[in-house]
Amino acid sequence: MAATTKSNSELFLNGILNENPIFRLALSMCPAVGLTTTMTNGLLLGIAVTFVQVFSSCTIALIKDYIHPRIRIPTYTFTIATWVTVIDMVLAAYVPGAYKAMGIFVKLIVAFAIITMRLETFACKNNFVKSFWDGLGMGLGFMFGMMAIGFVRELLGMGTLFGYKVLGFRTLLFFVLPAAGFFCVGLMMAIFNYVEFKLKQKRR
Amino acid sequence: MNQILRITTGLIITCFLAGLVMGGVFTITHDAKKKNEHMIFEETMLGLLGYGKSTPPPQDLKFKAIYRYLIEDAKDIERKDLAYMVPVLDDKGEKFKLLILSQEGELKEALDLKLEPEKAFEAKERQEALEAVLGKEKRAIYGDSAIVAVQGDKRVAYLLPGRFPGFKTMIKAMLALEPDFTVKGVEIMEHEEDPGLGGEITQDYFKNQFVGKPFGKLKELKVVKEPLPEEYRKILEGAQIPPQERARQLSQFKDKDIYALTGATISSKAVTEGLKGMASSFAYRFKNLEKIASTQGLRLAF
Amino acid sequence: MRTTKIILLCLFVFGLLSGIALAENVNVVRKASFDKANQIIIEFIEEIEEAWAKDVNNFYVYQKINPDILIGVSKVELLPDKRTITLVMSEDLNKNEVHIVGMKNIKIGKQTFPKLQVQVKKFYFGYLFSIFIGAMLVNNFVFTKYLGLCVFFGTSRKKSTAVGMGITFTIVMVFSAMMSWFLYQFVLKPFNLSFLQVVVFIGMVSLSVQAVDTILRKVNPVLFKAFGVYLVLVIANCIIIAVPLILADNEYNAVESLMLALGAGLGFLVALFLMSSVRERLELALVPPSFRGLPIAFVTAGLFALAFMGFSGMSLF
Repeated sequence: MAATTKSNSELFLNGILNENPIFRLALSMCPAVGLTTTMTNGLLLGIAVTFVQVFSSCTIALIKDYIHPRIRIPTYTFTIATWVTVIDMVLAAYVPGAYKAMGIFVKLIVAFAIITMRLETFACKNNFVKSFWDGLGMGLGFMFGMMAIGFVRELLGMGTLFGYKVLGFRTLLFFVLPAAGFFCVGLMMAIFNYVEFKLKQKRR
Repeated sequence: MNQILRITTGLIITCFLAGLVMGGVFTITHDAKKKNEHMIFEETMLGLLGYGKSTPPPQDLKFKAIYRYLIEDAKDIERKDLAYMVPVLDDKGEKFKLLILSQEGELKEALDLKLEPEKAFEAKERQEALEAVLGKEKRAIYGDSAIVAVQGDKRVAYLLPGRFPGFKTMIKAMLALEPDFTVKGVEIMEHEEDPGLGGEITQDYFKNQFVGKPFGKLKELKVVKEPLPEEYRKILEGAQIPPQERARQLSQFKDKDIYALTGATISSKAVTEGLKGMASSFAYRFKNLEKIASTQGLRLAF
Repeated sequence: MRTTKIILLCLFVFGLLSGIALAENVNVVRKASFDKANQIIIEFIEEIEEAWAKDVNNFYVYQKINPDILIGVSKVELLPDKRTITLVMSEDLNKNEVHIVGMKNIKIGKQTFPKLQVQVKKFYFGYLFSIFIGAMLVNNFVFTKYLGLCVFFGTSRKKSTAVGMGITFTIVMVFSAMMSWFLYQFVLKPFNLSFLQVVVFIGMVSLSVQAVDTILRKVNPVLFKAFGVYLVLVIANCIIIAVPLILADNEYNAVESLMLALGAGLGFLVALFLMSSVRERLELALVPPSFRGLPIAFVTAGLFALAFMGFSGMSLF
């Protein structure tokens, strides 16, 4: 793939809709299952991932001409690890409470396939500005997916949104249980598929 | 050859830049992290005493910490001494003293420590001060700490930070006791129990069950697998009812055991046992410490 | 052949290490161990005097970390062989802590010792085994910690792929976890560099992937052909970076770390195998069109996760 011809806004929306990391690419599923009991968690991890994605994409776009092709992948990993360490330290210092809630997942961003994949397929072939918009779109797409699952689980499981009470009645504890993450993600994927299927039928 | 050289230079430059970025962020965030952690700790303590944003704490409320260490002697392995780092008052003001106690609870030595009271909450500073007085042959291992909240010259509460095994991992909690060792409050600071099940230990309707339990009852507190009575739950969650009615209701449940959380009996038991252990060993040690201070004529800062 | 040798060597080192751990109470006491909730059993090498053994005042027990708080001994029982005594405490013991049993004026055989202290701790092998089983089943990384899902769903379509991936993963896991543990304990921690954790650990992972790749290619090309493709995927698996982080957090020693890494790797293998068995059958089943592929796999994984919840809280020793 040569440098992209899409405009910046198209690149930005591409990450959120057409190539949504969670629902479309089905990458980085671990936090989507493990960390979506509340919307707040989804939002915070989304911010962290957006930060890492944008900064890594920009860094790689800047230095892509100097990277020797044989050490391409190690350089990507190293870049990501550096930015993950940075966001990890910043979060630990300024929002300690929320950082504890996310536990090990902030550090695990380093192994999220989505970030490496974007660097490999996009950032190393495009310029700084385009990489920035692509990274931002992917990060926000990830955040959107996390928050969508978090919305369903928190609302149905605890009757709250961002910690505020919304529903008045007793809710289904099942949705907060760890195993329900799998069911929720599976069901939401199926719904996305169904909607897409119907839309295609209509177009015909 | 040329390629290898290029790869190595590339790698070195990348490493150097990354190191620069990470090191820079580390220096910036390190102090902020420490300050924030200390602030959270203090907020938890104030919260347990009933102070918050809307009710600021009085000016003369002070926290005095006692640190307990275990002293190992390289010459005599079987011998284990306890050491308490306590703030004492003398003519010049407040300073830290190290009381070394034998296993049987008798005072062996009382040493002066070069440690400023403001810096005592940092483990590194304490360890340095200890090394200076103990010498090389003795090794001090940190045990735990307790904080005495003082208002004027009156003790308000004892605050005990501690950790104990939960259902999954260690639970970090803080227990507040009245001067007569009745439970004043419980706060769960860190835990990794399952959300919705064991995670409910942070909820008011569980934590507040401990409040008001006298020391005698606390020592033999058990967990019962019975549903929590609805009117009790309302009080525990802070329902608005007249104070007299509240006191009457609470006294009715004062000698009751702890009602287990639904689906998380093990977590409930772990918390109860952990708090029980913390309170009883603290009470035992604190009484002993007071006795020693009075026989030695030490003026404790609390 | 070479593999067998390496396994034997590992077993030997392992046995040696645990042997050192056990051979502490040498002179008069042969064995000291926990029994029921409030009992400690002590076995002496020779017969002991009955009157001495029955006297509660000759014994004191405390936890190693709390030497000032004595645990009351309510009764001492001497077994018919006159060598073994059972100490009955007034309260239940916390068996996770190391306990010290002190004895005064021990009359054994014809000799008398003024004092003696014995350490009582949980059976070390049992502890190691519980770490292993804990990482494999009770806290299975896939089904109870939700890590490594991308690779999990990607490689669980066929049984053969699943097994290949699982084995490759376990090997790399053990390698990289041990290296990371070593670096963390001896470099990062002493020099106060623990903020570099992530960078160092991911570096170790890439290094071990590369090392396994090179070694396998040279030593056993057949095996490399079978497993080489999975090596690249290992690096995208969160578990491989999560294990060193957990090791660093919990301050495990070398053998315990090995056990956790092995358990995590085999746990992943078990999860992959179970899942692939189900998915092979799902191919033949009538699944609603919108559920085909990943959605149904997720629902299946959810059922597995519910089943694995049954293990939770289980303790073996």
